[in-house]
Amino acid sequence: MKFTFGLKNVLKGKKRGKIEEEWKYDSQSTLLAPPVIADLSNNGHKSIIFGTKDGKICSIDVNANVQWMFNTQEQVGDVELMFLDADTASSIESSPNIADINNDGKKEIVVGSEMGNIYALSYEGELLWKFKTEGSIRAPVLINDINGDGKLEILFGSGDKNLYVLNNEGKLLWQYEAGSSIESCPEIVKGNIVFGCDNGELHCINNLGKLIWKFTTNAKITAQPSVGKLFGDERTFIVVGSTDNYLYMLNLDGELIWKFKTEGAIYSKACLADINNDNKLEIIFGSCDNKIYALNSNGEKIWSYETDFWVVAPPIVDDIDGDGKLEVIAGSYDHNIYILDSEGSYKLDYVPGVSGVLQQAGNYTDVMTQEPGRIEGKKLWQYKTDGIIVGCGYIGEDHKLIVNTKPGKINNLAHKE
Amino acid sequence: MEGQLNRIKTYINGFDEAISGGIPEKHITLISGTAGTMKSSLCFNIIYNEALAGRNSLYISLEQSFESLQQHMDGMGLNSENMGLLKIDDLTKIDQVIRDAKASGKGNILLADVGCIRKEIKDIKVGDNKSWMNVIKNIVKKVKAEIECKVFVLDSMSALYVLSRFENPRIELFYIFEFLRDMGLTTYLISEMPLDGSQYSEFGIEDFLSDGIIHLRLSPFRRKMVREISVPKMRATNCNNDVFSLEFKNGQFNALYGGQNPLL
Repeated sequence: MKFTFGLKNVLKGKKRGKIEEEWKYDSQSTLLAPPVIADLSNNGHKSIIFGTKDGKICSIDVNANVQWMFNTQEQVGDVELMFLDADTASSIESSPNIADINNDGKKEIVVGSEMGNIYALSYEGELLWKFKTEGSIRAPVLINDINGDGKLEILFGSGDKNLYVLNNEGKLLWQYEAGSSIESCPEIVKGNIVFGCDNGELHCINNLGKLIWKFTTNAKITAQPSVGKLFGDERTFIVVGSTDNYLYMLNLDGELIWKFKTEGAIYSKACLADINNDNKLEIIFGSCDNKIYALNSNGEKIWSYETDFWVVAPPIVDDIDGDGKLEVIAGSYDHNIYILDSEGSYKLDYVPGVSGVLQQAGNYTDVMTQEPGRIEGKKLWQYKTDGIIVGCGYIGEDHKLIVNTKPGKINNLAHKE
Repeated sequence: MEGQLNRIKTYINGFDEAISGGIPEKHITLISGTAGTMKSSLCFNIIYNEALAGRNSLYISLEQSFESLQQHMDGMGLNSENMGLLKIDDLTKIDQVIRDAKASGKGNILLADVGCIRKEIKDIKVGDNKSWMNVIKNIVKKVKAEIECKVFVLDSMSALYVLSRFENPRIELFYIFEFLRDMGLTTYLISEMPLDGSQYSEFGIEDFLSDGIIHLRLSPFRRKMVREISVPKMRATNCNNDVFSLEFKNGQFNALYGGQNPLL
């Protein structure tokens, strides 16, 4: 048994610099979903696009200047209004999706609303088309060329229990009756479409809307499935969390490979990334047991980090401090953004004589045995915002983090030396 | 603290004294019992007396029609001359009913007949994101916002479950109770008990979420069925937990023989 402590890493640590707020923007409305960052007009300038609870879709630049604002202005009659929850009737509950759907060289914004409408906006925030369903749309749309015709299609689920596929002009191509409300964004797996339902089922249908298989969990699936070659070979797998507290890994035939139990509901998409350079993808996700988890491709926990409340927003994996190593960025309902060392930290349970020194925080990446201790999540930075964090966007080139909070504030955070 | 709470009387002779003068304002109370225990009558009697005292109340009926309730009221000998009984049977006329209540210069019962509303709008398509729970909430919000209204009766929870088809009752009931607390109304929820008497409500969680439970039951006694009333739970109240016989005579509820056999 090889047993080394990597003392130089213990003493050196990894953390340097700090996380600072560059600006804060008040959207004047509750926010319920992460922002999206995109270069809308393909001129090299990024925009931050988000929807609000009072029914607006907004674009601001990276210095928090408003570029445009589109008001969905859902018009309903007096009687119909009585059937709506006035607090949420106008809500935009999901992030927009951005793509050049009409091949005009600019990017369009497509987003659904609580009233069941899909809006397609130009890069300047003008309405291009609108499509009405009979149920709420609470997940982002997927934009993909699913039929290979060279044009993008728009796929989304609705509270009316249908998965819809529209062409790039907002015309219905086909719809699939799922038998349950859909609050999960679909994902494409080898040409097929996979999505979760409120009855706990994960459906896989082909690109013509024919069911291929179903996998059943014990509670609602709101997370978008993640798809990747987890073992670093040619095999592709599907990873999805359910509000039954389990994270599932399935093969392309919908057969369970493994499941991992947490103590809380899993609401959002897991992030797949090679965080430890082993040429396999690790799985990073949050749970309502307050923890952020990193699992290996066999479904074994590498580390977890416990926050003070639910972790609902999807985590981001990137190198925010520019040191060449990845960090895990996750927002919690405890109002804090946590930036964690993607490799975690080796913590010794007890070693007589030296444990007093070695229990201190530090990197133990060259420890070759797990017997004397375990790897735990290691916090590098923590930043407290004004409220519950509903999601983050990331500007990769600038290493900037855009954080949406429920009270309506958008924080721009950056790493400073 | 107990002495500082304002209370709404139940208008049952001998019973208000047993619960420190009445039910604390803004509390949510389950009125639980099996069929025929006078749950609706007891609630109607409270808001009738509140109206006589010049105060407004809202009664949302999911089961009985306005006409049926009015007949019931007449049968109980409750005279509507000195109070207003206003019917909401059309969602577009709520504003008018509220204006009438404001102009009446006396206490009113605003009675929303949801059965009638359902017939009225039966041709209007109601999608998944539009529920009858929202109709109830919006009526409550509107009435609360427009007029001084302290008491709200929902008749009944069982009908609400049928109408709204809760997918996850525990979560949805939690939010309903939160909504009612936010409204700040003294609320009576009429609850059909299962026949086995194992819990005071359909899902059991209502028992925990409510601030109080008034239990009505029918008990056999010497070849007679006797109505009884008791208080299994009443937050912030020093209660007499005796079981009383409940009688309705000459337009008045009476609670008798607390903790003793009735003298029949």
